[in-house]
Amino acid sequence: MIELVAVHKSFGHLEVLKGIDLRVAHKEVVVVIGPSGSGKSTMLRCINGLEPIQKGKVIIEGEDLHGPHTDPNKIRQRIGMVFQSFNLFPHKDALHNVMMAPLKVQKKPKEEVEEIARDLLAKVGLADKMEAFPDELSGGQQQRVAIARALAMKPDMMLFDEVTSALDPELVAEVLGVMQDLARSGMTMVVVTHEMGFAREVGSRLIFMDGGVVVEEGDPREMIVNPKEPRTQKFLSMVL
Amino acid sequence: MNAFFNGEIFKDSLWLLVKTLPTVFEVLILGLVCAWAWGLVLSLVRLSRFRVLRFLAAAYIDFFRGLPLLLLFIFVYYGLATAGLRLPPLASGVLGLALCYGAYAAEIFRAGIQAIHKGQMEAARSLGMTQGQAMRYVILPQALKLVVPPLTNELIAMVKDTSLMSVIAFPELLFRAKEKMGVVANATPLTVAALLYLVFTIPLIRVAAQMEVKRRKKKKKGGAGPPDGLTPEAEMELLSADIAGQLPKGGEMH
Repeated sequence: MIELVAVHKSFGHLEVLKGIDLRVAHKEVVVVIGPSGSGKSTMLRCINGLEPIQKGKVIIEGEDLHGPHTDPNKIRQRIGMVFQSFNLFPHKDALHNVMMAPLKVQKKPKEEVEEIARDLLAKVGLADKMEAFPDELSGGQQQRVAIARALAMKPDMMLFDEVTSALDPELVAEVLGVMQDLARSGMTMVVVTHEMGFAREVGSRLIFMDGGVVVEEGDPREMIVNPKEPRTQKFLSMVL
Repeated sequence: MNAFFNGEIFKDSLWLLVKTLPTVFEVLILGLVCAWAWGLVLSLVRLSRFRVLRFLAAAYIDFFRGLPLLLLFIFVYYGLATAGLRLPPLASGVLGLALCYGAYAAEIFRAGIQAIHKGQMEAARSLGMTQGQAMRYVILPQALKLVVPPLTNELIAMVKDTSLMSVIAFPELLFRAKEKMGVVANATPLTVAALLYLVFTIPLIRVAAQMEVKRRKKKKKGGAGPPDGLTPEAEMELLSADIAGQLPKGGEMH
């Protein structure tokens, strides 16, 4: 479970998160939407400690991420993350991108890791691209490798940071499909996205952020049709 | 013409100078390994999160980039000797090269590391890697590839700068050539030394140029976008570290 308590985050004088409270339960798929600059990506990056916070608490499975006895690296092993710009390791082929962390961080034996990696790549539809390097793959393929790479650590939860925003429109579906399968398998997910279709079909909760605060949250199917806050209404009328 | 190219003396000097090559290689290889290892360590300290260490590394780099290598050789060999620390010429040569070229290499490594898109570090950390693991398995393998061309330029400069060791009685090419010149009262030994330097530097210069062409071509056709490529700033940074590397470190010979 993920819990954010009154999280404040500033870049210099610019306050990006102004007290975020969020709870994500097991197997929940929380979809976060909002205009650019609303702090949604920053919030996501605070969940696994990629961004330090100034005030508040981030609690992962009962453990305070910023606690004095907490090893953030240990916690990050349980939180997979997928980025807008893929960030595959360009010097490794797809298979070894997926294998690297279990091999070097969890120090599992190579045979076992390779089997996990091959399974995962097959699962995201890339059984024939194991030996391809990132620059030989399309954006959609790269992003699917990135998802497999995060899953290889067997995380308890996954964070998705606008993972389809850098993709050509015809490649978006293949990535969303993988994410949908993942959600069905019971993965806990926090998804920052502009894909309202995904929010409606897969999301168990929708969160609208603006100006560094959570403005409104609710059931996606209901909230998309019938937003209560004026800011939500305005935003939805623009993206739908 | 006979003053610079006398057949008899040429043959004589060629044999004499070729015999010194193993010594030159010895100091060059030891110096290179020490300088680059030291440079890599310096660059990592320079980028570490400890402010004091960062400052010390930056100060070291500025200091040794600001000194003529010739002065450094003389200090290490004669200067330290006045304080009772007598280093043999080989050790002095290696130490001088490592101190000075380490500072330049540090700047090149730093530019190379910083040229790697920060998403790479984030992806590595998000997988649970420590800073050190991310550096070792993700950042450095990519950065080291980037710095091969500038380090090749460093190597070229280093080959030439071994000649500065003639002032500390290190029996390298220039030292032996000058000796011979004194005996035969003819400049042919210098011509031979020049040719021997060129035999090693020109192939390296061609290799460096070739790598530059290849890199440009790849950049043109690639256009794969920013994710894993170099940002323009990073590229400039790497280039300027590279250009600095081509300047002679030793200053003028007197």
